[in-house]
Amino acid sequence: MQVSEREALARRVLNLSPAPATEVCVFDDDSALTRFTHNSIHQNVAQRNLTVRIRAVDGKRQGVASCDALDEPGLRRTAERALEIARLSPEDAEMSPLAGGGTFTTPQGAFVSATAQAGAQRRADVTETIFAQMEGHNQWGAGFVTTASSGVTLATSAGLLASYDATDAGINVKANAGNSTGFAEQHVRDQRALDGRAVAGRAAEKARLGSDPQAVDVGDWTVIIEPAAFGELLSYLAQHFSAQSYVDGSSFLSDGLDRTYAGDNVTIRDDYAHPEVLGMPFDFEGSLTRPVTLIDRGVGRHVVTDAYYAARLGVANTGHALPAPNAYGPQPRTLILEPGTKSREELIAQTKRGLLITRFWYIRPVDQRQTIVTGMTRDGTFLIENGRIAGGVRNMRFNQSILGVLRACEPARELMRTGGYAYQCVVPAVKVERFHFSSGTEF
Amino acid sequence: MTYESAAQRALDTAAARGAQYADVRFERDRSENIEVRNGRVATLSDDESIGYGIRAFYEGAWGFAASPDTSDRGIDQTAARAVEIAKAGSAIARERFGEAPSEAYVDRYATPMEEDPRSVPLAERVGLLLDAERLLHVAPRIRVGRAWMDLWRKESEFYSSIGSRIAQETAQSGSGIEALAVDGGDAQDRTWPGDNGLYQGGGYEIIRKAALRENAQRIGEEAVALLSAPQCPQGTMDVVLGGSQVSLQIHESCGHPAELDRVMGWEANFSGTSFLEIDQLDRLQYGSPLVTIVVDNTLPLGFATCGYDDEGAKSVRSDIIREGVLRGYLMSRDTARRIGRATNACVRAESWMHVPMIRMCNLNLLPGATPFEQLFEGIKHGIYMESNRSWSIDDRRLNFQFGCQIGWEIVDGKRTRMVKNPTYGGMTPRFWNSCDAVADANSWEAWGTPNCGKGEPMQTGRTSQCAAPARFRDIEVGVGYAG
Repeated sequence: MQVSEREALARRVLNLSPAPATEVCVFDDDSALTRFTHNSIHQNVAQRNLTVRIRAVDGKRQGVASCDALDEPGLRRTAERALEIARLSPEDAEMSPLAGGGTFTTPQGAFVSATAQAGAQRRADVTETIFAQMEGHNQWGAGFVTTASSGVTLATSAGLLASYDATDAGINVKANAGNSTGFAEQHVRDQRALDGRAVAGRAAEKARLGSDPQAVDVGDWTVIIEPAAFGELLSYLAQHFSAQSYVDGSSFLSDGLDRTYAGDNVTIRDDYAHPEVLGMPFDFEGSLTRPVTLIDRGVGRHVVTDAYYAARLGVANTGHALPAPNAYGPQPRTLILEPGTKSREELIAQTKRGLLITRFWYIRPVDQRQTIVTGMTRDGTFLIENGRIAGGVRNMRFNQSILGVLRACEPARELMRTGGYAYQCVVPAVKVERFHFSSGTEF
Repeated sequence: MTYESAAQRALDTAAARGAQYADVRFERDRSENIEVRNGRVATLSDDESIGYGIRAFYEGAWGFAASPDTSDRGIDQTAARAVEIAKAGSAIARERFGEAPSEAYVDRYATPMEEDPRSVPLAERVGLLLDAERLLHVAPRIRVGRAWMDLWRKESEFYSSIGSRIAQETAQSGSGIEALAVDGGDAQDRTWPGDNGLYQGGGYEIIRKAALRENAQRIGEEAVALLSAPQCPQGTMDVVLGGSQVSLQIHESCGHPAELDRVMGWEANFSGTSFLEIDQLDRLQYGSPLVTIVVDNTLPLGFATCGYDDEGAKSVRSDIIREGVLRGYLMSRDTARRIGRATNACVRAESWMHVPMIRMCNLNLLPGATPFEQLFEGIKHGIYMESNRSWSIDDRRLNFQFGCQIGWEIVDGKRTRMVKNPTYGGMTPRFWNSCDAVADANSWEAWGTPNCGKGEPMQTGRTSQCAAPARFRDIEVGVGYAG
């Protein structure tokens, strides 16, 4: 659906809503994914959805109803249901007023029509290049090729009308070579930049290098964590940067802002306009989203807010609200770790003995307040000896404080946008001293 | 709702475009969610979603397309898209993954329900949560109280090109409470029931059964008490796990590895593979003889109970582990055929928008003969743990580490002092072979999991694992805080 159609739909809902005040959010998603294993496609899907979310406000009461109907009776029924819920709800003293006007500028390049128009044949073509690369290495690949477009329009009866459109495309390849595996990924806005051959080649090389993996002792290791793994690790810090967690006492930052939590080479930001992010310039309350420096050279500086928490903390609103009302509070969108000065290769070359980690798996908090998490390595763990990769290593489990990592890490200079099961990050590889592994595996 | 003519149009269009088989699943999902947080109704929503997904089969390849557009034009476009996708995949296939189904059913199913949630006024539902949440705040150190309720209802119609016509109405309900206590640098969390709340197939009777008001004060008190409780000891010792934690253990270390698509590498790049390889079938001593685990999608109260799965196969009960030995898998038609078996109807899609895939459904550890309190007998030193807090397992489902919200030290057969931050870890078959007692049916419960992630695009599945508390010998405890 074109942005003009989405905005017309939002206006139509505002006009037919019986509530004294109304907010409408229209989500439009069209995504497709070709999934493969053993160098053959086993799942090939396309899904299209359009959701209309209506928040009816009556004084200090609010109610939310949503539907994916576009016809007038369906929309009217949903708007009436939202108002009915609002009138049955208790008053909400924390409710912020509906947003009025505002001007927002979407970062250039967020939406690429070539991605939005890509079809099954394009995905098949990219997939075919991956298969060819895998077969050339006498390996088999599992992974996906995906293209997606999405749009959001937020409008209120107080005069707000804001829209954002974006596209995404990605490749994910796990290469399998007998007793070893390797992983590589690519995430871009423009599908024409997808390079199946290169991504598959990197994954295949990892699998080749890791053949006949050996067990190493558990304990503290110097590690070089590549972006896919580090992004996943860092994502488990995201919740700590929410003003709600800060106020609740469940964030490490609850000990106080303007205190040192990480090394002086660690700066973490949230910035929707970063060239690797190109995100939405407003939040779901219709506030302008601002770039936020969360950790500045090791010092915890800011948390992200919505209107309620900004007022409660007496700070400027950073514009990170989720759709209201919600129990989650404001959330950072994308964590960006400022790069260092050395290349990944230099970090490896300067490591006498350590481990190179491609990917983590199943990271979960063990102790939220202490930022201790556990997880496994997978798809490419290597022993580094005297600055060179000496061979593959069997997978291991770690138990490690994320703040401990940030106190003892050296970021590389190459930034990469990671997909990640939990969260999107833009991070370099990092070298970390004393990363703790607690148990091993036979593979 | 009836979509018979729209369905026929979808099937006709798919056939005209070249599909050798097609099915279409229309769904109307209704989801009501209420959440109270620190005295405030933080969420009160009522979401409805109507749409359909079409699977088309062409020359050994599947295509799937989904849309909410039920106009003739929308249906034609979506059916054509499904076939186009199947053809694009078929053109580069090295291996043929799909085979068209051959059995058809004409039937109806509805979840048994004692009390229709719609008959309970919204004010009463909100009032229950406000009351329960308020009761959690037993001390200022309770910084966050939460109470929530989910009421889900799905009407679906499944039609296939070989004659299936299946109408189903399923209902699922769940609720829970949570208290977060904070003191200085320590934060301790308690939830009830279990770690997610109680989620089962049925109506408002499931909400009443959770007894949120009745347990809120205790849960708040336990969260506060944990702040000053000693750290769980480390070492090798015996462990008794509460029922919801056994449920989690089944889910992660039996359910996922028993998914046959994982075994066959279909999830290799994301969820992972499995150590339960085909050559282990009927041979692997997965657990002790006390361990019998069945998939039963006909079970009353099961969170995943239904008449037919999302590829139109009839729900059955079948063995996964029988007296400790691996006997079967969670299967779809395509995967079952590859090992010479019939599907056990374990295919689900999150919604009409999602492609059906193998999911865990109801996976149940059959109850044993030991009364719960007798599980502690014979333990010289051990830990009793309840309610999951942390869960992680490798991508073949062998090396696991789990943590619970609360523990009690067991000394000379008696449950004694409370301990905080209990964790344990191990290797899956070794762990289940150390099971020497499973509690009896009096403490057996259907524990629903409303948020199981799998697949790409990621789908959230609703599974359940029926379990009773159980005892395990010589387990590594305290591993999350060691080193």
